[in-house]
Amino acid sequence: MKSLLRFSSSCLLASSLAMSPLAFSESSNDSWQKILEEAKGQTVYWNAWGGADNINAYIEWVAERVEQDYQVHLKHVRIQDTANTVSRVLAEKTAGKDVNGSVDLIWINGENFRAMKDNNLLFGPFANDLPNYQAYINPEARQSLTQDFGTAVDGMESPWGMAQVIFMYDTDTLDNPPRSMSELLSYAKAHPGRISYPEPPQFLGSTFLKQALHELAINPEVLLKPVKQVDFDAVTAPLWRFLNQLHPVAWRRGTAFPSSSEEMMRLLDDREIDVALSFDVSAASVHIAQGNLPDTVRSYVFTEGTIGNTHFVAIPYNSSATAGAQIVANYLLSPEAQAYKQDPTVWGDLTVLDYNKLAPQQQAAFDALPQGIATLSLDQLGTTLPEPHSSWMEALEIEWRKRYAN
Amino acid sequence: MYSSFNRTLYYLILGVIGLPLLTGLLGVVLPSFGYDPALGQVSFHLGHWQQLLQQPEFWSGLRLSLSTGVLATLLSYWFASSLIMVCFEKPWFTRLQSAITPILSIPHASITIGALFLLAPSGWLVRLISPWLSGFERPPNWITVQDPEGVALIIALVIKEMPYLMFAMGAALSQLQPQQTLQAARLLGYERLTAWHFTLLPQLFPLLRLPIFMVLAFNMTVVDVASIIGPNTPSTLAVTLLRWFNDPNLVLRGQASAAALVLASMVAVSILCWLLFYRLLNQLRHHFSTLGTRQSWLRYWTWFGASAAGLTLLMTLLSLLLLPIWAFTKRWRFPDAWPNRWTLDNLNRAGDRLISLTAESFSLAIASAFIGLLMALVLIEFERAKGRSRISVALLFSAVLLPQVTLLFGIQVGLLYFDWSGTWLSVLAVHVLYTLPYIYLTLKAPYLAFEQGYLEQANRLRFTPIRNYLTIKLALLKAPLAAALAIGFAVSMAQYLPTLLAGEGRINTLTTEAVARASSGDRKLVSVLAFAQAILPLICFMLATLIPRYWTRWRLAFRRSLCSN
Repeated sequence: MKSLLRFSSSCLLASSLAMSPLAFSESSNDSWQKILEEAKGQTVYWNAWGGADNINAYIEWVAERVEQDYQVHLKHVRIQDTANTVSRVLAEKTAGKDVNGSVDLIWINGENFRAMKDNNLLFGPFANDLPNYQAYINPEARQSLTQDFGTAVDGMESPWGMAQVIFMYDTDTLDNPPRSMSELLSYAKAHPGRISYPEPPQFLGSTFLKQALHELAINPEVLLKPVKQVDFDAVTAPLWRFLNQLHPVAWRRGTAFPSSSEEMMRLLDDREIDVALSFDVSAASVHIAQGNLPDTVRSYVFTEGTIGNTHFVAIPYNSSATAGAQIVANYLLSPEAQAYKQDPTVWGDLTVLDYNKLAPQQQAAFDALPQGIATLSLDQLGTTLPEPHSSWMEALEIEWRKRYAN
Repeated sequence: MYSSFNRTLYYLILGVIGLPLLTGLLGVVLPSFGYDPALGQVSFHLGHWQQLLQQPEFWSGLRLSLSTGVLATLLSYWFASSLIMVCFEKPWFTRLQSAITPILSIPHASITIGALFLLAPSGWLVRLISPWLSGFERPPNWITVQDPEGVALIIALVIKEMPYLMFAMGAALSQLQPQQTLQAARLLGYERLTAWHFTLLPQLFPLLRLPIFMVLAFNMTVVDVASIIGPNTPSTLAVTLLRWFNDPNLVLRGQASAAALVLASMVAVSILCWLLFYRLLNQLRHHFSTLGTRQSWLRYWTWFGASAAGLTLLMTLLSLLLLPIWAFTKRWRFPDAWPNRWTLDNLNRAGDRLISLTAESFSLAIASAFIGLLMALVLIEFERAKGRSRISVALLFSAVLLPQVTLLFGIQVGLLYFDWSGTWLSVLAVHVLYTLPYIYLTLKAPYLAFEQGYLEQANRLRFTPIRNYLTIKLALLKAPLAAALAIGFAVSMAQYLPTLLAGEGRINTLTTEAVARASSGDRKLVSVLAFAQAILPLICFMLATLIPRYWTRWRLAFRRSLCSN
């Protein structure tokens, strides 16, 4: 472990050195031309979570576009858990497969990114050189664009979209949904068995823990620091007190937890539970359209705000199609692809582009997007709480499993 | 010439099976002791083992795997043997046997998906009695699936394994003389079930050892069934260690390898305990049988077991019935007993994806079944001639008895090393590793029982050994050959972990997709997948029983029609 840490800090140093003097303009234009040429005919295997039909369809659409415009063959490898891909690339490194790796592009963020970056499993830095990044991204606009769960991005991954925690409830069952963790607890006490959250380390489950901790911690500021620098037990004590009270009155008395947001929505539809969570702001609208939720379901957020983050794409170090992968990453940042993605009937994922950097007709495209019946507008989404430092995720997961999973 | 060719092939096949087993083992043994070059760890130490033993989830998962695995196996054996005893010599016994055979072909993931919806608090059983009987307007806060003790997991495992043991018992009975034995015992005044317990069961068990151990190993190490319907805080050890393998914190991998080794040794220890326990039980049975009682209290156990078996079969039927229902459902909310809107949309939505997944599953299954059959024929023919089979049996069954989670990760590293991973061929190779033992086991008894005299006589009349082998021996054996093919097909269709790990996620089958989607919200899509996954092997099994029966008639009719023209 120690050697790994030392390893990662030296890697950080190296990449920040490589980052500093970036010569743009002419020369970068030339090198992009070279990448365009090289990418023609390449096949890019993109390992991306394949659990939602609408996202799969969007990726399918991207594949058609890059095929048409750049002659890059994009293949979506549908995975269940990004961590599997991280261990796959690691297994390839074990076997000495340093070229022609099986993965060319990964949809990634947070601890998976940190694991890959720390173990030198990534190609790059490349993101800051992408033409669309330079044209439309304002890295200052959001901390999560440069600090992925507290890990410096350093151009090793390219932003793709933004997510924020939302809650869902059925207006037929509930008039006034709980809008804070303490309200959630009193609701559960009044209606035993109707509240739950996904099982950590599923990322939404871990996010629920972080959301609760943010609200319950005496001083939420400390969450931005690495866990090692704070008194974990003292900071998290209110969280465990809260969960100890919640579990006996939770769904299935806290002996089982849903495995994902999708399962929570199914349980909401079955009326086994009353409140579901998602990291996808348009989830409710999409599932109503598919007949998986009644049309009386609505989204809402907590009064004090909910946790949000940015998700990225990265390229493994042993990819044989780095040029093609960069083309795809760049296309994903185009106003066209970003506006289409934010359409709630398509996916509804929030854009990472800076509205002020867009041309007027590009801005108009974003303004014209329809709103799903159960999707919140940017205003309604309210305050976005920052993700705690990525070390919190693992620490919380380990402690949670120690306390509740055996 | 012929025999040396056969010998070369024989050892080649053994090597082909032995090599992945060896790489698989090395690939977990080395990392568990700290040797993992990818993490820059090249020194041997016991750190991962110490770490593992300190994990509370390891101990609770181990306890859970052990209790659910052993209990599910005991219950499956008890129920299966009871039902056979009660139904044997009844006029519909053969019909019962042919009714359970198709259940064997249905992948466990699809039955489990059905069972999950049957048993859940918002499931079909509760819906059928709500609200008119139960008064539930909303699902009760019961823990009927994913319960911490793993009762639902045990039920799901029994649903799947009981029919398999009944099938194996039926096959074993045909090697004994059950009618005569029972008759003799009854002439001495023994009640029917008591006669079974004192005379036939002791003869039956040695023949059933392997199938039971296969069930035991499967039950203790299964991942897909346990992750769908098993408890999750904690999960069984197999599920927990797979999570560790896949954890972004790559340091957990050594710990996962150590856990995989513990799991493998737990299977070995359980098998030994089972044998010891059986010895004790046999002594006890011997003691009771020499007391002279003509009616043993054992028969009450048998009656109870048989009723439970009937109930299990009923649940299997209901679970399977649910798949096509959900596949055509638009809206079906609690507490409606039936969907209130039907649709073909689910099939449409699955559309192209369904076709490509089916094609992938089908091609893998058919190819691995045929390759497995050819290899099995070579192995058994050599063993028939030489009369020895220890090495091949040991190799084949270590492939089946070693936990998939243990073996496959190591194999994955090996495939990567040779740069063979992620292709259709590598998935096929791993599938063959798992289909071959089942095909071998199914084929061996009928193949060895073949009256070799027919072939010898044919060779004396006209010495064309290869032609005679094909047109006399294999033609006479077409029923068991077809059955073995169908079993190979079904085994391949059901493979989840092997496809996932060797295919690098690039090769998707109905099974990988169905398991991946099982926990998601979309019951409709999952049911479409599980339904497709179940129907293919079913068709294959039907063909395997029908074609050999009518083959000769059709062939002769075809020839006649040619000649008459």
